[in-house]
Amino acid sequence: MTYFAGIDIGSLTTEVVILKGNDRMVSSAIDLTGTDCNEAVEQALGQALSRAGISRSQLSFIVATGYGRITIPFVDKKITEISCHGVGAHHLFPDSGTVIDIGGQDSKVIRIDKQGKVLDFTMNDKCAAGTGRFLEVMAGAFRLSLEDFGALSLKSKREIPISSVCTVFAESEVISLIAQNQAKEDIIRGLHRAVVNRIWSMVQIVGVHGAVTMTGGVAKNLGVVALLEEKLGGKIHIHSEPQIVGALGAALLAKRLFI
Amino acid sequence: MTRKDYLLNQKQKGRHLFGVFPAQYPKELLWAMDIVPAEIWDPPLEITAANAHLQPYICSVVKLGLELVLEGKCDMLDGFLFPHTCDSIQNIASVIRDCLSENKPCYFFYHPKNPHGKAARDYYVLELKNLTLSLEKQLGPLNPDALKQRIQQGHKISGLFGEFYDLRAKGKLDVGNREFYEQLRRGEYLFPDDLIPELEGFLARNKGKEKKGLTPVILSGVLPNPPEILTLLDDLGVSVAHDDLLIGSRRLLVPPSNLKDPFKQLAESYFSMPPCSTKGAPIVERREYLLHLIKATGAKGVIFNVVKFCEPEWFDVPNLTDELKKRGTSTLVLDTELNQGLSGQMKTRVEAFVEMIS
Repeated sequence: MTYFAGIDIGSLTTEVVILKGNDRMVSSAIDLTGTDCNEAVEQALGQALSRAGISRSQLSFIVATGYGRITIPFVDKKITEISCHGVGAHHLFPDSGTVIDIGGQDSKVIRIDKQGKVLDFTMNDKCAAGTGRFLEVMAGAFRLSLEDFGALSLKSKREIPISSVCTVFAESEVISLIAQNQAKEDIIRGLHRAVVNRIWSMVQIVGVHGAVTMTGGVAKNLGVVALLEEKLGGKIHIHSEPQIVGALGAALLAKRLFI
Repeated sequence: MTRKDYLLNQKQKGRHLFGVFPAQYPKELLWAMDIVPAEIWDPPLEITAANAHLQPYICSVVKLGLELVLEGKCDMLDGFLFPHTCDSIQNIASVIRDCLSENKPCYFFYHPKNPHGKAARDYYVLELKNLTLSLEKQLGPLNPDALKQRIQQGHKISGLFGEFYDLRAKGKLDVGNREFYEQLRRGEYLFPDDLIPELEGFLARNKGKEKKGLTPVILSGVLPNPPEILTLLDDLGVSVAHDDLLIGSRRLLVPPSNLKDPFKQLAESYFSMPPCSTKGAPIVERREYLLHLIKATGAKGVIFNVVKFCEPEWFDVPNLTDELKKRGTSTLVLDTELNQGLSGQMKTRVEAFVEMIS
């Protein structure tokens, strides 16, 4: 049996997907990237191989993606996460025309064709606004987990606008609002709105084409998803584990390149 | 020889050194008055002192120019020339003249915007004559024969650059992107007597060796900085088949004029240059120029490498990318700050674009 692996080394987490020759995903693993990409890859790859019940020598082709792709020496090919998210999203939701990927360090809006090939894309500037890191810092200001942070915003009755999308200034603004005893859920909804507005300006650049699929860790945030769906006026496709879509795309590309 | 050593050497020969801010100016007129124009685009400095004087949203071309002055690195110059390229350069011109030039002469050159009518041509000739009169007060009278000779050299240089561009578009110039623009940019300070033989030598060494299998793109914007972008494109097997750069085709590929009056010749050349945002060219002209380059070279896409906060360029970019995308051309927009290198994110954008068009 032939197996392929995709490894997505992101700023926060490293994901691995093992694929069989028939395109069936046999295992996946997610681990924190930390400060050593190679160690994170070894950990996540080891877990994924163990879950698949195979050894590394059984992998016919490995593709690395994500910002840490350049540091991994043993892979067969390195491909950007933009191409990989396009292929992964198309595989999971074949009607996808637009992919919104919000990761820890950057966010992207990608337009794909009916084969999952990238037609156009845009990426955020070198700034944490509109990324998972922004939400992580804000959740920290409330001492909430990211899951609770997202869910709490859905209870808001009176959204409080946040005037800055700069992570540093927004945090100061949030601390002032907390000191004024404003309801947490209202502040958090305002923060989510700031992120969504930032993403929305990127969506405007690429345009909405076909069904929209969201990938990356922020797709788990119910508050962001709800506001994005409100903007789009429709539902967004989200896989049960949106963080592995890039690694899945990398594994699919590994198979294509091998064949 | 370094740029600084070259300029000092020119000064020792009795020539006058002028610091020239971007971008469009009558180089031949300066040469005729024995001035070596040393263009100030992206000196390799860290911006520290200039940040104290300028708003954060001023582009790094202007900031680096001011930094150069503030760090005392313009002491060897005999004057400055400020073409009216944009509001930021206009403002920095006033600041340098009023506060920082320490009695170094500062000259201004106002070229017409949206230059189509006869009045614009008459105005341009008048500006050329006004600049000449101003320079004559400092440097003595202009020799008309010298001007004619320098205009001929200017045409020779444009012809050589034109040959570079043609050969590159056909894949018959055996140099990478980085080497190409390094050579091109030596024209920003070399005197024509030195530039012409150097360009001829470069052409003789590199022409005719065909390069195959490269993905052609068009590069648009102000200048190819950070130069690591060019190296990355080389590494990815991408060839800049032509450009729409302000330091490149927009001002180098000047067709020769047969007019007898040298001032009218210079004016004719100015009005024959490709459309440029700093001249207020209509967006339709810029779009058509890009479409012409794409068709002529078979380029797979256009990379807009735009200096952050460059107002004339940024005003056009959204419309240009929209228009090109509507016509099926892939585009990539990079907003770069000079001399800042390439971040991992920027590399990812370029790599993803290459994956997309390959």
